Amino acid sequence: MNIKKSIFIFLLMPLALPSTAQAMHISEGILPTQWALLWYAVAIPFVAWGLRDLRIKSAREPFFKPMVGLIGAAVFVISCMPIPVPMAGSCSHPCGTGMASILIGPAMTVLVSSIALLLQALFLSHGGLTTLGGNIVSMGIVGSLAGWSIFRLTRRLGLPAWGSAFLAGMLSDWATYAATSLELASALHGTGSMPKLLTAIGISFLPTQLPLGIFEGIVTAGVYCFIAARRPSLLECLGVERKRCACELCECEPKTGGVQ
Amino acid sequence: MSLLSELFSDLFARQDNALARIDPRTKLIVALSILAAVIYSPTPVFPLAIVIACVAVTVAIGLPCRLIALRLIAPMGIAGVLLVLQSMFSGSTPLWKFPAFGFDLTFTREGWHTGCLMAARVVGGVSVMLLLSSVTPAHRVFLALRSLGISKTWVEIAMLMYRYTFVLLDLTADVTEAQRVRLGYSNLRRGISSAGVVGGVVVLRAIDQAVRTNEAMRVRGYKGEIPLGLLPPLAWRDAWIITGSAFVLSGILISLEVLFR
Amino acid sequence: MSDAPFALETDALSFAYPDGFVALSDIAFRVRSGEFVAMLASNGSGKTTLIKVLAGLLSAQKGSTRINGRELRDYPQTELYQLVGLVFQNPNDQLFGATVAEDVAFGPRNLGLPETEVRRRVAEALRAVGAEELGERAIHHLSFGQQKRVAIAGVLAMQPPILILDEPTAGLDPAGEHSMLHLLGTLNRKMGITIVLATHSVDTLPLFADRIYLLNQGRVLKEGSPEEVFRDQELIERASLRLPHVSRLLSELKRLDGVPINGLPLTLREAREQLLSLIPDELIVEVKAS
Repeated sequence: MNIKKSIFIFLLMPLALPSTAQAMHISEGILPTQWALLWYAVAIPFVAWGLRDLRIKSAREPFFKPMVGLIGAAVFVISCMPIPVPMAGSCSHPCGTGMASILIGPAMTVLVSSIALLLQALFLSHGGLTTLGGNIVSMGIVGSLAGWSIFRLTRRLGLPAWGSAFLAGMLSDWATYAATSLELASALHGTGSMPKLLTAIGISFLPTQLPLGIFEGIVTAGVYCFIAARRPSLLECLGVERKRCACELCECEPKTGGVQ
Repeated sequence: MSLLSELFSDLFARQDNALARIDPRTKLIVALSILAAVIYSPTPVFPLAIVIACVAVTVAIGLPCRLIALRLIAPMGIAGVLLVLQSMFSGSTPLWKFPAFGFDLTFTREGWHTGCLMAARVVGGVSVMLLLSSVTPAHRVFLALRSLGISKTWVEIAMLMYRYTFVLLDLTADVTEAQRVRLGYSNLRRGISSAGVVGGVVVLRAIDQAVRTNEAMRVRGYKGEIPLGLLPPLAWRDAWIITGSAFVLSGILISLEVLFR
Repeated sequence: MSDAPFALETDALSFAYPDGFVALSDIAFRVRSGEFVAMLASNGSGKTTLIKVLAGLLSAQKGSTRINGRELRDYPQTELYQLVGLVFQNPNDQLFGATVAEDVAFGPRNLGLPETEVRRRVAEALRAVGAEELGERAIHHLSFGQQKRVAIAGVLAMQPPILILDEPTAGLDPAGEHSMLHLLGTLNRKMGITIVLATHSVDTLPLFADRIYLLNQGRVLKEGSPEEVFRDQELIERASLRLPHVSRLLSELKRLDGVPINGLPLTLREAREQLLSLIPDELIVEVKAS
């Protein structure tokens, strides 16, 4: 029966695609008070970690603040970019955290995504204030740590950069969804069994999420390749590719101005 | 994309009205307490009343109905999915049964109730945010967060991100348009590679912009700290609004508790 | 003015980017206090690089830069940025604040001024550029022309005696261009601010300037009053520029049709006077004041 129900949900979901695609972030009001508080408690130390990282770096080099702000805005804009989902002609959008964590590292990505999530909650009714903690955990923390560690690991294993970027984008997207499903199931199962609900939620995300994750991977790889082709020095400078850095940012930025 | 700019822009929050004139800290505190009450409410009645009140006020202050609908449609979809999921996956007392695809689907009574409650909470919470963002410009929300104790660095980055999102949205719209007129989205494969290029252009432009913004900031005395403006001190009126709404909210919650639990 | 002290002064200035591109070579650039000087050059001639060197954002490998007679590198940063204000070409680069007032307040707040003084300076700067009513507007709701004005206000709030502008009229419509020129004229003549601007628009800006530096490929081709610089047509064309349209019309009338025209009129008014003096009085119909 459970499986049959799941199959039914599977069939039902494409009809509700726009809303499930929007469900990437947990919507306002879904999490009960104690869960909302718990996820806030988990998220805050990570955001503080990002803030500390940024504060230390920007005290050494003021350029970091505008740079993190701008990369944050870029990733936010990319995450708002509609991507055509092949099924049902609907649109969804990538998370962008995989990309961001490749570029600026997981700590700052958590910081940036906490801001992006607040902006989305305020202006796009996407996610929410009460669920902000939960969303920071799934998108910011899980997504960026997954993306960053997969990129680093696969690069070390000798995968070409585009392959690593693809995997990082795809898996961070899926990890985000897995975390979101887990958060939803644990908060909502009520008197029913949690694994059952988790399966249901997980399955209902599948038809949109599998292709979306692949899309996210392709876009991440595309962005990476574009930057690597146009401005390889930038990747070295941001510490993405570990080579001796000789790009214009590092050459000019800290030293420009003669008057320091 | 222009739709997104429109949704994102705080143009309407800058209109003058009674709510817009209230101090953003007060509005934020009251909005947070209403949110808490919405989540805490044991019955869907209270969240739904909040939805009606918030949407009515939002319409009254002149936000176009199209924008309101746009902002509420996705949460309503989520609410619907939640309702179905809950009715089918929790509880035990059968409420309805109907055959579909050769097997029976059971909606349970308990599931239906919790589903309704959750759906009402979702839409209620979202409409509180809708009203808040329709009467408070983004930067004032950030300043309010700052004075309520959020880290200054966080607020600085938030302000920069919000400001430059518009610049980059314009850029994205231009690049996408340029690709579209040259058939960059004529099929799925091209569409994906075009999307990758847009992303790349946006990131590169963002970094160039960061270099130039940094220079512009430095010639105006930037040394690693972005100074933030101050909000005027809270007036007595704000204290009245906060205590008043706290009283009303707790009154409502207590009576709901008594009536529905 | 000719005996005023030098506000900006460079000697044998050379600058190369890390990739080896030589952007400036052997530049001698002098601006007296209270002057209005235009750097006239086509795209990619090193205008922006020179501006950044003058504002202390880039440091030249060779040569010296002096501000008010003192070496640029001897200035502490804060003092330098209060002395030289830099307005970027694209206002988006410069406007990072949430609202107009917040953005203009950025500089004064960085100087550590008390909030009342910050407010006063913001109001004053916005009044100077005619944007008082924009104070509470969000930057992203402004038109391009308004953004340009607010960008200037943000720099004026630092109260620099020297103002450097990169392409202040680029991208503006004719009305916006006119009011920008009017604004710069006011700042220079009424408030006594030394103005240096970089441009490639030959039709309008150079005519306001006291002196022009003609730059090409990182070198100074010629320096002098607008009349002196534009007299050398060949040089102007070598710099990928042209004469102002009026001057070109009159110089072709002279060269191809033998119309006797004295000198080289640069502005509409000069051209009109020249032509009027050549047209016989009996051909001129009196315009009746109606």
